Amino acid sequence: MLINEQKHDNIDIVVLSGRFVMADSPEVRERLKVLIDEGQGKLVVDMSQVSFIDSSACAVLISAFKGMQLKPGRLLLVTSPVVQSLIELTRLHTIFEILPNLPAALDALSTS
Amino acid sequence: MTSADKPACIMLKASSEAANISLLSEALHALCLYASGSVACALDMQRAVVEALNNVVEHAYGNQPDHDISVCWYLENRQLRIEIIDCGQSMSFLPEPVLPDFDAEGGRGWWIINACVNDYDYKVIDSVNREYVLRPGDRNDNIRSASIEAHSNILTLIKQF
Repeated sequence: MLINEQKHDNIDIVVLSGRFVMADSPEVRERLKVLIDEGQGKLVVDMSQVSFIDSSACAVLISAFKGMQLKPGRLLLVTSPVVQSLIELTRLHTIFEILPNLPAALDALSTS
Repeated sequence: MTSADKPACIMLKASSEAANISLLSEALHALCLYASGSVACALDMQRAVVEALNNVVEHAYGNQPDHDISVCWYLENRQLRIEIIDCGQSMSFLPEPVLPDFDAEGGRGWWIINACVNDYDYKVIDSVNREYVLRPGDRNDNIRSASIEAHSNILTLIKQF
Protein backbone atom coordinates (compact mmCIF):
# COMPACT_ATOMS: atom_id res chain seq x y z
CA MET A 1 0.00 0.00 0.00
CA LEU A 2 1.03 3.62 -0.42
CA ILE A 3 1.23 5.97 2.55
CA ASN A 4 1.36 9.70 1.86
CA GLU A 5 1.62 12.27 4.62
CA GLN A 6 0.43 15.84 4.11
CA LYS A 7 -0.08 18.91 6.23
CA HIS A 8 -2.88 21.45 5.96
CA ASP A 9 -2.30 24.31 8.43
CA ASN A 10 -2.15 22.50 11.77
CA ILE A 11 -3.95 19.39 10.50
CA ASP A 12 -2.02 16.20 9.75
CA ILE A 13 -3.33 14.14 6.85
CA VAL A 14 -2.42 10.55 6.05
CA VAL A 15 -3.60 9.39 2.65
CA LEU A 16 -3.64 5.61 2.26
CA SER A 17 -4.16 3.85 -1.05
CA GLY A 18 -4.27 0.22 -2.15
CA ARG A 19 -4.83 -2.69 0.21
CA PHE A 20 -4.66 -1.99 3.95
CA VAL A 21 -4.11 -5.43 5.52
CA MET A 22 -2.01 -7.28 8.08
CA ALA A 23 1.23 -6.96 6.11
CA ASP A 24 0.88 -3.15 6.13
CA SER A 25 -0.40 -2.75 9.66
CA PRO A 26 2.91 -2.34 11.56
CA GLU A 27 4.10 0.51 9.33
CA VAL A 28 0.77 2.36 9.35
CA ARG A 29 0.46 1.89 13.11
CA GLU A 30 3.91 3.42 13.66
CA ARG A 31 3.36 6.33 11.25
CA LEU A 32 0.05 7.22 12.90
CA LYS A 33 1.57 6.95 16.38
CA VAL A 34 4.33 9.41 15.48
CA LEU A 35 1.83 11.87 14.00
CA ILE A 36 -0.40 11.63 17.07
CA ASP A 37 2.52 12.01 19.47
CA GLU A 38 4.13 14.91 17.60
CA GLY A 39 1.11 16.54 15.98
CA GLN A 40 -1.33 19.13 17.25
CA GLY A 41 -4.23 16.80 17.91
CA LYS A 42 -5.88 17.07 14.51
CA LEU A 43 -5.51 14.09 12.21
CA VAL A 44 -7.33 12.90 9.10
CA VAL A 45 -6.82 9.36 7.78
CA ASP A 46 -8.01 9.46 4.18
CA MET A 47 -8.86 5.93 2.99
CA SER A 48 -10.94 6.98 -0.01
CA GLN A 49 -8.41 5.18 -2.26
CA VAL A 50 -8.19 2.02 -0.14
CA SER A 51 -9.42 -0.99 -2.11
CA PHE A 52 -9.51 -3.57 0.68
CA ILE A 53 -9.28 -3.58 4.47
CA ASP A 54 -9.19 -6.35 7.08
CA SER A 55 -9.51 -6.67 10.85
CA SER A 56 -5.80 -5.95 11.34
CA ALA A 57 -6.32 -2.56 9.73
CA CYS A 58 -9.33 -1.98 11.98
CA ALA A 59 -7.04 -2.69 14.95
CA VAL A 60 -4.63 0.01 13.74
CA LEU A 61 -7.46 2.53 13.43
CA ILE A 62 -8.72 1.68 16.93
CA SER A 63 -5.20 2.11 18.29
CA ALA A 64 -4.94 5.53 16.65
CA PHE A 65 -8.40 6.47 17.92
CA LYS A 66 -7.41 5.58 21.48
CA GLY A 67 -4.10 7.42 21.14
CA MET A 68 -5.88 10.54 19.97
CA GLN A 69 -8.38 10.32 22.82
CA LEU A 70 -5.51 10.28 25.31
CA LYS A 71 -3.72 13.27 23.71
CA PRO A 72 -6.53 14.63 23.66
CA GLY A 73 -7.31 15.35 20.02
CA ARG A 74 -9.60 14.49 17.16
CA LEU A 75 -9.21 11.79 14.53
CA LEU A 76 -11.40 11.84 11.44
CA LEU A 77 -11.68 9.11 8.83
CA VAL A 78 -12.55 9.38 5.16
CA THR A 79 -13.61 6.02 3.76
CA SER A 80 -14.13 4.26 0.46
CA PRO A 81 -17.25 2.10 0.07
CA VAL A 82 -15.27 -1.09 0.74
CA VAL A 83 -13.72 0.39 3.89
CA GLN A 84 -17.04 1.81 5.04
CA SER A 85 -18.83 -1.52 4.67
CA LEU A 86 -16.29 -3.37 6.83
CA ILE A 87 -16.35 -0.61 9.45
CA GLU A 88 -20.13 -0.92 9.55
CA LEU A 89 -19.98 -4.73 9.64
CA THR A 90 -17.78 -4.51 12.72
CA ARG A 91 -19.94 -1.72 14.21
CA LEU A 92 -16.94 0.60 14.44
CA HIS A 93 -18.88 3.39 12.74
CA THR A 94 -20.46 3.97 16.13
CA ILE A 95 -17.14 5.18 17.59
CA PHE A 96 -15.23 6.60 14.62
CA GLU A 97 -15.94 10.04 13.19
CA ILE A 98 -16.35 9.47 9.45
CA LEU A 99 -16.60 12.24 6.89
CA PRO A 100 -17.60 11.80 3.22
CA ASN A 101 -14.45 13.36 1.75
CA LEU A 102 -11.19 15.10 2.60
CA PRO A 103 -12.43 18.70 2.18
CA ALA A 104 -15.30 17.96 4.56
CA ALA A 105 -12.88 16.49 7.10
CA LEU A 106 -10.52 19.48 6.84
CA ASP A 107 -13.46 21.84 7.19
CA ALA A 108 -14.66 20.00 10.29
CA LEU A 109 -11.23 20.19 11.93
CA SER A 110 -10.59 23.79 10.88
CA THR A 111 -13.71 24.95 12.67
CA SER A 112 -13.23 22.81 15.79
CA MET B 1 -17.46 -27.28 -14.08
CA THR B 2 -15.38 -30.15 -15.47
CA SER B 3 -18.14 -32.78 -15.36
CA ALA B 4 -21.58 -33.33 -13.93
CA ASP B 5 -20.19 -35.30 -10.97
CA LYS B 6 -16.90 -33.64 -10.22
CA PRO B 7 -16.64 -30.09 -8.86
CA ALA B 8 -14.24 -27.64 -10.44
CA CYS B 9 -11.17 -27.41 -8.23
CA ILE B 10 -8.13 -25.16 -8.20
CA MET B 11 -5.32 -25.47 -5.65
CA LEU B 12 -2.96 -22.67 -4.64
CA LYS B 13 0.06 -22.92 -2.38
CA ALA B 14 2.09 -20.27 -0.59
CA SER B 15 4.50 -19.91 2.30
CA SER B 16 3.33 -18.48 5.60
CA GLU B 17 4.21 -14.84 5.07
CA ALA B 18 1.77 -11.99 5.57
CA ALA B 19 2.72 -10.55 2.18
CA ASN B 20 1.43 -13.70 0.48
CA ILE B 21 -2.07 -13.29 1.91
CA SER B 22 -2.91 -10.54 -0.57
CA LEU B 23 -1.68 -12.63 -3.49
CA LEU B 24 -3.77 -15.63 -2.46
CA SER B 25 -6.85 -13.60 -1.63
CA GLU B 26 -6.76 -11.59 -4.86
CA ALA B 27 -6.51 -14.82 -6.87
CA LEU B 28 -9.44 -16.32 -4.96
CA HIS B 29 -11.44 -13.10 -5.35
CA ALA B 30 -10.98 -13.32 -9.10
CA LEU B 31 -12.08 -16.96 -9.16
CA CYS B 32 -15.14 -16.24 -7.01
CA LEU B 33 -16.10 -13.22 -9.12
CA TYR B 34 -15.73 -15.23 -12.33
CA ALA B 35 -17.77 -18.14 -10.99
CA SER B 36 -20.53 -16.22 -9.23
CA GLY B 37 -20.73 -13.06 -11.31
CA SER B 38 -21.44 -11.29 -8.05
CA VAL B 39 -19.19 -8.51 -6.77
CA ALA B 40 -20.73 -8.82 -3.29
CA CYS B 41 -20.23 -12.59 -3.15
CA ALA B 42 -16.60 -12.31 -4.26
CA LEU B 43 -15.90 -9.56 -1.72
CA ASP B 44 -17.48 -11.58 1.09
CA MET B 45 -15.37 -14.62 0.22
CA GLN B 46 -12.23 -12.48 0.03
CA ARG B 47 -12.94 -10.97 3.44
CA ALA B 48 -13.46 -14.39 5.02
CA VAL B 49 -10.35 -15.82 3.33
CA VAL B 50 -8.13 -12.94 4.45
CA GLU B 51 -9.24 -13.30 8.08
CA ALA B 52 -8.70 -17.05 7.94
CA LEU B 53 -5.24 -16.66 6.39
CA ASN B 54 -4.33 -13.99 8.94
CA ASN B 55 -5.14 -16.53 11.65
CA VAL B 56 -2.99 -19.19 10.00
CA VAL B 57 0.03 -16.88 9.65
CA GLU B 58 -0.31 -15.26 13.06
CA HIS B 59 -1.60 -18.07 15.27
CA ALA B 60 -1.06 -21.45 13.62
CA TYR B 61 2.47 -20.59 12.48
CA GLY B 62 3.26 -17.85 15.02
CA ASN B 63 4.42 -15.43 12.28
CA GLN B 64 7.16 -17.86 11.27
CA PRO B 65 7.72 -17.81 7.49
CA ASP B 66 8.41 -20.76 5.19
CA HIS B 67 5.60 -23.01 6.38
CA ASP B 68 3.12 -24.35 3.86
CA ILE B 69 -0.37 -22.99 3.32
CA SER B 70 -2.60 -24.69 0.76
CA VAL B 71 -5.86 -23.28 -0.48
CA CYS B 72 -8.34 -25.38 -2.45
CA TRP B 73 -11.12 -23.59 -4.33
CA TYR B 74 -14.17 -25.55 -5.43
CA LEU B 75 -17.19 -24.66 -7.50
CA GLU B 76 -20.16 -26.97 -7.01
CA ASN B 77 -23.39 -25.92 -8.74
CA ARG B 78 -24.17 -22.55 -7.14
CA GLN B 79 -21.84 -22.99 -4.20
CA LEU B 80 -18.28 -21.86 -3.61
CA ARG B 81 -16.17 -23.86 -1.17
CA ILE B 82 -12.69 -22.87 -0.07
CA GLU B 83 -10.49 -25.08 2.08
CA ILE B 84 -7.53 -23.49 3.86
CA ILE B 85 -5.02 -26.10 4.95
CA ASP B 86 -2.06 -25.65 7.29
CA CYS B 87 0.14 -27.89 9.42
CA GLY B 88 0.67 -25.46 12.29
CA GLN B 89 -0.70 -25.21 15.80
CA SER B 90 -4.24 -26.56 15.82
CA MET B 91 -7.12 -24.78 17.46
CA SER B 92 -8.81 -26.73 20.22
CA PHE B 93 -12.07 -24.87 19.68
CA LEU B 94 -13.64 -22.49 17.20
CA PRO B 95 -13.97 -19.04 18.75
CA GLU B 96 -17.50 -17.67 19.11
CA PRO B 97 -18.26 -15.13 16.40
CA VAL B 98 -18.99 -12.25 18.76
CA LEU B 99 -17.79 -8.67 18.62
CA PRO B 100 -15.35 -7.61 21.35
CA ASP B 101 -15.61 -4.33 23.24
CA PHE B 102 -15.25 -1.33 20.94
CA ASP B 103 -11.82 -0.40 22.27
CA ALA B 104 -10.42 -3.93 21.86
CA GLU B 105 -7.99 -4.02 18.97
CA GLY B 106 -8.30 -7.74 18.19
CA GLY B 107 -11.01 -10.37 18.10
CA ARG B 108 -13.05 -9.33 15.07
CA GLY B 109 -11.82 -11.94 12.59
CA TRP B 110 -14.31 -14.70 13.38
CA TRP B 111 -17.14 -12.18 13.43
CA ILE B 112 -16.20 -11.17 9.89
CA ILE B 113 -15.85 -14.78 8.74
CA ASN B 114 -19.21 -15.71 10.23
CA ALA B 115 -20.89 -12.72 8.60
CA CYS B 116 -19.39 -13.27 5.16
CA VAL B 117 -20.02 -16.99 4.52
CA ASN B 118 -23.05 -19.24 4.78
CA ASP B 119 -21.25 -21.96 6.69
CA TYR B 120 -17.80 -22.92 7.92
CA ASP B 121 -16.15 -25.73 9.85
CA TYR B 122 -12.71 -26.65 11.10
CA LYS B 123 -11.12 -30.07 10.98
CA VAL B 124 -7.91 -31.43 12.42
CA ILE B 125 -6.70 -34.55 10.67
CA ASP B 126 -4.11 -36.58 12.56
CA SER B 127 -1.96 -39.18 10.92
CA VAL B 128 0.83 -41.41 12.15
CA ASN B 129 3.35 -42.86 9.73
CA ARG B 130 5.74 -45.53 10.91
CA GLU B 131 8.97 -45.72 9.00
CA TYR B 132 11.25 -48.75 9.13
CA VAL B 133 14.86 -48.27 8.13
CA LEU B 134 17.07 -51.15 7.02
CA ARG B 135 20.72 -50.64 6.22
CA PRO B 136 22.84 -53.08 4.24
CA GLY B 137 23.95 -55.88 6.56
CA ASP B 138 21.44 -55.05 9.28
CA ARG B 139 19.80 -57.98 10.95
CA ASN B 140 16.12 -58.05 11.63
CA ASP B 141 16.63 -57.33 15.33
CA ASN B 142 18.55 -54.19 14.37
CA ILE B 143 15.63 -52.65 12.56
CA ARG B 144 15.09 -49.17 13.87
CA SER B 145 11.67 -47.73 13.76
CA ALA B 146 10.73 -44.10 13.73
CA SER B 147 7.34 -42.70 14.35
CA ILE B 148 6.45 -39.59 12.46
CA GLU B 149 3.37 -37.75 13.55
CA ALA B 150 1.80 -35.17 11.27
CA HIS B 151 -1.47 -33.35 11.11
CA SER B 152 -3.40 -30.97 8.93
CA ASN B 153 -5.80 -28.24 9.97
CA ILE B 154 -8.54 -27.55 7.44
CA LEU B 155 -10.86 -24.58 7.62
CA THR B 156 -13.70 -24.91 5.11
CA LEU B 157 -15.63 -21.81 4.03
CA ILE B 158 -18.88 -22.21 2.10
CA LYS B 159 -20.76 -19.51 0.23
CA GLN B 160 -23.86 -19.92 -1.92
CA PHE B 161 -24.72 -17.56 -4.73
